[in-house]
Parts: sequence; structure tokens; C-alpha cells
Amino acid sequence: MLSLDITGLEMRFPGLASPVLSIDRFHLPAGARLAVTGASGSGKSTLVNAITGLERVGHGAILWGGQNITRFSGSQRDAFRARHIGLVMQDFHLFPGLSAFENVVLPVRLARRLSAAEADRARLLLDMTGIARPQQKIETLSRGEMQRVAVARALLSKPGVIVADEPTASLDRSAGEEVAELLVRLSREEGATLIVVTHDPALSERLDRRIRLAGGIIIEDSGEAQAA
Amino acid sequence: MIRFILADLRRFSGGALAVVILIALSVALSVAVTLQERAVRLGSARAAEKFDLLVGAPGSETQLALSSVFLQPAPLPLLSGQVLARLADDSRVAMAAPIGFGDSSFGHPIVGTTTALVATLSPTLTEGAVFSHLGEAVAGADVPLSVGAEVKPMHGSVETGGETHTEVTYRVTGRMAPTGTAWDRAILVPIRAVWSLHGMGGEHEEDHEHHGEEDHAEEHEHGHVDADAPLDEHFNAETPGIPAILVKPKTIADAYRLRQEYRSETTLAVFPAEVLTRLYGTLGDARSLLLAIAIGTQGIVIAAILLVAIMHIGSRRRQIGALRALGAPLRAVVTIVWGELFLLFVAGIALGGALGLAVAELVSARMTAATAVRLPVEFARDDWRLAAGFVIAAALVSLVPAISALRLSPAAALRS
Repeated sequence: MLSLDITGLEMRFPGLASPVLSIDRFHLPAGARLAVTGASGSGKSTLVNAITGLERVGHGAILWGGQNITRFSGSQRDAFRARHIGLVMQDFHLFPGLSAFENVVLPVRLARRLSAAEADRARLLLDMTGIARPQQKIETLSRGEMQRVAVARALLSKPGVIVADEPTASLDRSAGEEVAELLVRLSREEGATLIVVTHDPALSERLDRRIRLAGGIIIEDSGEAQAA
Repeated sequence: MIRFILADLRRFSGGALAVVILIALSVALSVAVTLQERAVRLGSARAAEKFDLLVGAPGSETQLALSSVFLQPAPLPLLSGQVLARLADDSRVAMAAPIGFGDSSFGHPIVGTTTALVATLSPTLTEGAVFSHLGEAVAGADVPLSVGAEVKPMHGSVETGGETHTEVTYRVTGRMAPTGTAWDRAILVPIRAVWSLHGMGGEHEEDHEHHGEEDHAEEHEHGHVDADAPLDEHFNAETPGIPAILVKPKTIADAYRLRQEYRSETTLAVFPAEVLTRLYGTLGDARSLLLAIAIGTQGIVIAAILLVAIMHIGSRRRQIGALRALGAPLRAVVTIVWGELFLLFVAGIALGGALGLAVAELVSARMTAATAVRLPVEFARDDWRLAAGFVIAAALVSLVPAISALRLSPAAALRS
């Protein structure tokens, strides 16, 4: 379980006068569940890339549980992400030709040897996400099932935080609700901080805190409103 | 890792197969050229092994060697029979045998010679016995005639519009063991039968200065052959002319001395091995050219594959970005991209080697069927160096798309 602290963050793209993301000060306690909303182009994706270390940050600091990842090199950020952050993406990014189980353990297998404990955990997670046949080829699953496999994959390395980028956007209503319920329940059971970028109100309603971005700035924060 | 690579290749199996075939064909080309050139060289060298020294009338050295070793039909000028008599009595000569060609039977050359040459080619016969009368013949290993069969000689060959000699019918009395030379296709008969058949009974010799086609027109003189006459393998000044004499000198020094002695105004002496070595020089040049073309083709193929691979990486930016976002280390991504292409290369090289070998075997088999000269297709130590070179080149070339994958930022890759 990791807390998030952002200070003086500013992300710019070459050729654009105003920053695409500018967050002066933001704190998310460990174990919190946060929804990030906003229109497209509001800076949501940039925020995800910055806090997951996918993109280098020029100005400011991003601290996960006190570790400033903006000081890390590219490969250190990759290693930190692999160890501490579980990613769930809109397009699943599962790999056809492999089974559900093989997809769950793929990132670990590409980095090192899969331990027996990890293999057991992968089976347990697939069971918890309701995938009945772990050896089934991934391309034969329904979209809802695919996203649930992706959730199991995100949780394999017991990450301190789960970051989900539009996890329900490409699913139908009932599949979306299942995935939303799963994310909230498993993040609680696994003791992970949860950050979900979404414009699905049904999903954001389930989370404790909501921020809204516009023009790269947090224009609404339910946490601050409560605090105020 | 390897499972992921294989699953990935299965997904693009059509393209992967095309790449493998492309590589295989280009590799097969150079393998076939290398193996075939070696096969021709080894095969002809072995075919010439038993022909130490050839003596003929002045003319083309190459033609003398090719006609005698490979029984290539060509009009050769005749050599005076005295030379044969002189060589037969020479103390430095272990064996001197006349080689008289010109006739054929169903495409098989009929060669007039002596029992000594039969013994040289095939010390023991697989069947029957050597000829002992003028009307008898010994068949080469590849001649489809059984002992007891009859052979009607045809002057020249069917292709050159020859006519059948009606004066004699040879009876096959024996069969030689396979020698792996063109002589496996030949039918050997007593030289005196050939002379008689062509009306060259010694005293008629002057009428036949040339054994060429032109003076054997329809009106040419036909002698009578007494099929039951015994052999006479003693030659003297009255001996008629012959196209070539095979000489087995007793020592190497004798061989050089004899060659020196018989290179004169009236005779020509050659080591067939030497003539062939000269021809190999030309063959080697042809091989170098073909090999250069083959390697050039490989260059084009590699360039085409690199283009495909880099375009393929471009279309897989998202997948690669996702792998990295999900925590796959950079080295894993590089290994996957490199490994996939390298695996295709190795498969292509292996397949190409097998294909090249098969082509060389096929060509050799067809050439052996046509000429009876065995062309051994075999690998040499150098080939493994070439194969290792191919694999190393493949490993290096596969790095190119891997490095292009390295430069992708995961965030940018995911966004595209």
C-alpha cells in the first residue's frame, strides 16, 4: 500500500505554450481509492504516464510512499513500475496465442524465473476474478473476461498501487460493472491504493475520492471539498 | 520467453513462413553452387584417376583427355600404330593399351581395346570373362545388357546419322565392376575387331589417315570380321592407326620422361589430371561468379527482410510499449525482437542447406545417369565455416530491428 505525493509537477510538450499538466500539490493517502475524470485532452493520460513512470518528468516531484520516482533513470522507473504498480489499460493488452494463465504471468516470466508461489498466486487470482479455465487461449474469451484477466495480471506482483486507465470504456454495461466491482473489491482485499482514470460515472461513484481535470489543472477535488 | 516468441511467430505464421522461404532459397543457391562445383571436381578427378598418361596424335590436349576419360564423342586424328608397338615394348611402361572409339550401340560407346585395359579398369569382373575372340565384348557396369546378349555396332551414333555395321555382332561375355567413370557406360571390344570392321587391316592403313566422320561416308570400306578368330594383342610396325593410347608408366619419373619424349611433331602426350586441373580453373571462375551472384542475392534478401522486420516493429509499437508498461525489462523486449528474427533466419539457413543439398544430389544423379561419372556430393570443413558465417551474419542482422525497438518510448508506443 503506497501513498502518493505530487509537488510542483509540470509537464510540457514541445511546441505547446501552456503545460499539458500542472499540479502544484496533491496528496493521496495509502489505501485510498481515487477516480480521475475529465474531458479528453484534459491531461488524464499525461497524469497516468507521469505517476507510473512511463514518461520522464521535467519539473516537480512524484513520491510513492516517500520514494521520488522523478529522480529515477528510465530503467529504474521500469523496475519500480514492475515491482509496485499494477496497470490495467483500456485495450487490455493481452497477448494472443497464450492462455489466460500465461498472460497473467508473462511480465514476470519476461523479467525472471516464475516461482511456484507466483504460479499459485496467478491461479488464485484467476479464480478470484472468475476465470474458470485458466488454460483457455486468451483470444477465445469475452471482452469482459479479458479485462478480468488483465486485472489478475496487474495484481500478480502484489503491487502497492493499481492504476487503471479507462478499464471499463471498451466493455458493455454489465461487463463494465463486473470489472468495476472487481477492481474495488480486490484493491481492498489486496491492500492496494487504487487510481482509476474513467469517465464512467458508475465506476467513479464506487470510489472514495474524485478529482476532475481540465486544461491540465485539477479543477475539482471531492477530497478537498470534504476537508474544507 | 521462448513460448512467447513461438506464440508470436504462430500469430504471424504466414509472414514468418515467407521470410523463412526467402532465406532458404537464397541460402540453397549458394549451397548448391558450392556442392555441385565440388562434386564435378571430385567426380571428374576420380574418373581420371586410372588414366595416368595419354598419347595421341597432335591436336587438342583437352579433346584427347575428354574423349579418352569421358568418352566424349569427337573425331580425333589418328596416331600411327608404330607408336603403340614402341610403347608396348618400352621397359618404363607397365601397360599400354589402345583406345579406339567411333562406334556405338543404343547410345553406349563401343571402345576397341585390349584385355590389359579391361584389367586396369576392373581387376575382377562382376560377371563372366574378358573377351577372347574378336566377336566378343565386355560390358561396363551401367550397360543394360546381360552376359550372352548381342550388340550390333553402329558407326558414329544415332544423333550423327550413323549406319549399322552388319559385318559383325558382338556377344557380351562379361561385365566390369562399377568404376564411377564414364567407362561404366561403355562396351569394350577387341581393338582388332574395330580395325577389321573399318577396313584397317594393317596394309590398308594408308587409306585411313583420319578416323573422322567425313571420310566414313556411305561408300566407306567395310572389312570382314572373323568373330571366332583369337585375340592378337601384339603390336608392331604394321599396326593400324588409333585415336589414343592409355599408358601406365612404372614410376612417376617414368611418367614425366615418357610425356616429355612423346610430345613431338607426330605425337602428343598429356596427363589427363593436368588437363582437368586447367579446366577446374575455369570451373572455379564460374563458381566464383555464381557464388558472387548468390551472395549478392543474399544481400538483397537481407535488405528485404530488414525492411519487413522494421515495418513489422512499427506495426507492433503498441504491443512492445504494452510489454514494457507491464514491467517487461528492456532486455526482454530486445531479446524477443532479436530472437524472433534470428529464429526465422536459422530456420531458413537450415532449410536452405537441406534444399541446396537436395538440389545438388538431384543434379548429380541426373549427370551420373547421363555420363556414368559419379559426382559425389559431400560437405567439407569449409562449409561449416560458411554456415557459421551465415549464422553470425543472421545474429548481427537481427540486431537491427531489436535496436529500433529499443528506441521506442513505452508511453509514446502506447499512445500511437
